[in-house]
Amino acid sequence: MAFLGQEEQIREFQDRFRYLYAAVFIGIALLVSRLVFLQILNGDKMRHYSEENRIKRVKISAPRGMIFDRNKTLLIDNRPAFDLEIIPQYLKESKQSAQVISRLSTLINLKPEEIEATLKKYKSQPSFLAIKVKTDLSREEVAAVESWKIEMPGVQVEQEIKRTNIYGEIASHLLGYIGEVNATELPKLNAVTQRYKQGDSIGKFGLEQRVEDTLRGQDGEKLVEVDALGRIKLEKGKGRVLATPLEKLAAPGKNLILTIDQDLQNAAAKAFGTSIGSIVAIDPRSGAILSMMSRPSFDPTEFSRGIPSAVWNRLLNNENHPLRDKTIQDHYPPGSTFKIVTGVAGLEEGVIDEHTTIHCTGSMRVGNRVYHCHKKGGHGDVNILTAITQSCDVFFYRVAQKLKSVDDIAKWAKHLGLGKRTGINLAHEVSGLIPTEAWKMKHYNQVWTAGETLSVGIGQGYVLTTVLQLANMYASLANGGTLYKPYLIKEVESFDGNTLQTFNPEIVDQTRLKPKTYELVKQGLWAVINTQHGTAYAQRLPGMDFVGKTGTAQVINISADKIYQKCENMRFKDRHHGIFAGFAPVSNPVIAVAVIAEHGCHGGTAAAPIARAVIKTYLEKYYPTIYGEKAVAARLKAEGQPVVPIKMSRKAAEDEDEGVVPNDDAAPPIQGPMPFLPPLPPTPGEGPEAE
Amino acid sequence: MTYTSTESPLPIEEGQLRVGMYDEELKKFNWNLLIIQFVLFGIGIWNLISATGVEDKSLGLYKTQLLWFGIGMALTTLILIMHYSFFSRVAYIIYFANILLLAAVLVAGKSSLGAKRWIGFGGLRIQPSEFMKLSMVICLAKYFETDRTVGGYGLKEMLLPVMLVAVPAGLIMLQPDLGTALIILFTFASMMLFIKVRPKTLILLISIVALTVPLAYQFAMKPYQRQRIVSFIDPQSDPKGSGYNSIQSMIAVGSGQLTGKGYKKGTQSQLNFLPEHHTDFIFSVFSEEHGFVGCIILVAIYLVFLLNGLSVAYQSHDKFGVLLTLGIMNVFFWHIFVNMGMVMGMLPIVGVPLPFLSYGGSSLMTSIMSVAIVTNIANKKFMF
Repeated sequence: MAFLGQEEQIREFQDRFRYLYAAVFIGIALLVSRLVFLQILNGDKMRHYSEENRIKRVKISAPRGMIFDRNKTLLIDNRPAFDLEIIPQYLKESKQSAQVISRLSTLINLKPEEIEATLKKYKSQPSFLAIKVKTDLSREEVAAVESWKIEMPGVQVEQEIKRTNIYGEIASHLLGYIGEVNATELPKLNAVTQRYKQGDSIGKFGLEQRVEDTLRGQDGEKLVEVDALGRIKLEKGKGRVLATPLEKLAAPGKNLILTIDQDLQNAAAKAFGTSIGSIVAIDPRSGAILSMMSRPSFDPTEFSRGIPSAVWNRLLNNENHPLRDKTIQDHYPPGSTFKIVTGVAGLEEGVIDEHTTIHCTGSMRVGNRVYHCHKKGGHGDVNILTAITQSCDVFFYRVAQKLKSVDDIAKWAKHLGLGKRTGINLAHEVSGLIPTEAWKMKHYNQVWTAGETLSVGIGQGYVLTTVLQLANMYASLANGGTLYKPYLIKEVESFDGNTLQTFNPEIVDQTRLKPKTYELVKQGLWAVINTQHGTAYAQRLPGMDFVGKTGTAQVINISADKIYQKCENMRFKDRHHGIFAGFAPVSNPVIAVAVIAEHGCHGGTAAAPIARAVIKTYLEKYYPTIYGEKAVAARLKAEGQPVVPIKMSRKAAEDEDEGVVPNDDAAPPIQGPMPFLPPLPPTPGEGPEAE
Repeated sequence: MTYTSTESPLPIEEGQLRVGMYDEELKKFNWNLLIIQFVLFGIGIWNLISATGVEDKSLGLYKTQLLWFGIGMALTTLILIMHYSFFSRVAYIIYFANILLLAAVLVAGKSSLGAKRWIGFGGLRIQPSEFMKLSMVICLAKYFETDRTVGGYGLKEMLLPVMLVAVPAGLIMLQPDLGTALIILFTFASMMLFIKVRPKTLILLISIVALTVPLAYQFAMKPYQRQRIVSFIDPQSDPKGSGYNSIQSMIAVGSGQLTGKGYKKGTQSQLNFLPEHHTDFIFSVFSEEHGFVGCIILVAIYLVFLLNGLSVAYQSHDKFGVLLTLGIMNVFFWHIFVNMGMVMGMLPIVGVPLPFLSYGGSSLMTSIMSVAIVTNIANKKFMF
């Protein structure tokens, strides 16, 4: 056996065991002597430190970056909020809870029973954890509590930062809101480095979410000495463990300067009133967004410190979807505002020119189906200009028909930025839809029909656009074809105001319109507002050359016998959406606007006034010498009425419901969030037949 | 009473094959280490309940610790049924399997506090570096058992055992886990000294270490490790970082004074001034609440534990048994010494758990298995 040969060595080993025993005793003796040193010799001092001089790490919250508008008007600020907290342990230790609570109740106007009830509610948690008794103390209350602080152990005022949206509901979708980071997000956020802790705030929507990394600062830390009752010791020297107070300063987040103009936002909000819908205004020279708003809205300030669930549920269940950003999250059939695309396609592809005249009888037959014009009796002879002015459906049916295929319309729609996301720096943007023959084959496995091209020609059928796309398209029309990527952030600056980053316009599509097309589009849009026959004549801004196009989007499919029924007589939820898109001034456009007024019935009366208000505010603010009230009056007087640059072939258009035509393959009604794909339209022949 | 190597505690009839335990053997069964282990674990759980009673993160962790102890007891039974010579046969298998696990940690390990130390098995998280200490000792015992070097080890003879230690120590350093790597190196050095190193070689090695340590400090250590050493020498130099831990821990121990603040009344731990107070700094919780008296009792129990272990080694009749027991008790000694020394501000802060008191499944499991093996050696003095 092996061990027999090892006896010698084992005996040798056994001699050495005394060294081992000695080593163990020495080691233990060292430990014991250290224990004596710390606990017996220095015990009093250490006990003193632990009881009287506790060193505590205190987080210094880094302020989040502020958000300004283009003129450095403050939009989102961090304002201090004061909360009253009680640490039950210290209260208990003081053995005078009753007196403290009764004194506190008079100081912060809260019944003693209420305070007791709050404390009771958190009874199960460790007693050294602070309990929030009252939030948002007034300045007077803070001062009162601070002056009685020595008499009230365990009571403290905690300062917290309340993210405040200064203009409340205005542009809350755009600016977004913050909230407490939730436990499921944490592992993902901290995958690379430890950045967020439980209880930290994080952007949850809008710009607050998209530029989180820029806005967020870096928390600092401070070591403070607190006494046994949790009060921070202030006096220096005596008995302090730390020679000097040490702190790592918080690094504030960076500020954003937006392209938005708050005056325009206010003007738009005022014009909207209680209406539902959204507006986007863009600078056609750069793609900078000047105004962007969705109604109804919510107050993001309520979100910043935890939103009560009742408020949240009310927002969530509101049938007008206040939490949805209607500028980018919803898409609508653009209706007549899309006719410009058909017109541009016709002119650019050479199938029509300014002399092309079409006779509108009020309807048009394709195969065995009839396509109506919104005007029952027809518009008579119309050319491209009068067709735009009066929004003649039959003219654009004919243009659509003359084109090789629907793909020609799609080509120009895409050049103008439709059918794909604009790429704006906001989450949840939908792409809208511009149908092509291939698209239909791919998604429905069906051949494109000629009739569908007609519907597309007047912005119906499958066509869907967001308000942002519409605004950007009109911005592109306004500048003659250059499509910019819309952007919101003009500059990023450090917390102390040094510019760190400047954003420049980004061109997406550079397909210029032929000068002739550009001219005709501008003249057509001009006439819509500035001539008596136009569909938005009431909205003209004399001297400002405000131009645009009205449109209507059906909410429900209307049968043939009801199409000429008055919109206002329908149930509110069934009423058409009013749409308007335009720009100003026509000769040298500086602002393009698109508006949707949900259930507003008419583009001309519901949507155009909002666009008009924004444009007027903008021109007066930025070009006072040309567009200020006095300047305009003087110019009008000198020039007389502006000369109508084209001859109109017919008189006024009476009917404003220009987009509302009973087509079988109209887009399905929009209600609430839209699925990306509209359901399959009924096969021809099944739908209601007029005539 | 002690036995000489030729005597046996039990009367054995010539040629009788002994398997398992006889009644008389059971009567004379050496329960000492198992009993001390129970006492230490009992204190550990009692203390852990206090240490984990306040923080959301660690609340109720002692239950997990109890579960691990239960699993450990099952393993103990299993080890006691076997003969420890089994470990001699599978020593290298255990060693290489553990090396593979260490490598796996580096590839697919889970991170925590900036280091990759854990590996997941289903729902379990194990820390192979803890087990490596035991595997290492088994492997070294096996190596020296069969090695025939006489008259002390020189550099040449030491080459292979150094390699056997350097590989796992290196892998553990990469995690990085300086504390565990140091324990392995200390244990190896202690064993080597016990087995005898030639005086010349010893002097050479000491001078090499004296030269390489400053170089390692400069080039091989991570900044946070260097920081720990700097702040050990001068805690005030970095009171926010590791200096903070050291200061708070010393305050905790010292403020316990003679009789302590009372169970669950340690303000340093209960008010969260102490970092990691349920794992590496568990001793500061104990000493704050139970004072000098409590600490002396605890240290005395550890001393009795170590002495009992050494006596098992002393009485063991084969080289493998002696070296294995010795190695295991070495690991225990270094853990106790380094951990308490670090908590009391005598040594730099390196992550080393205190056996039976610190929370941690892998550490507890390794300790329990170690005790089971030593108990086995204590009761089966002959190899057949």
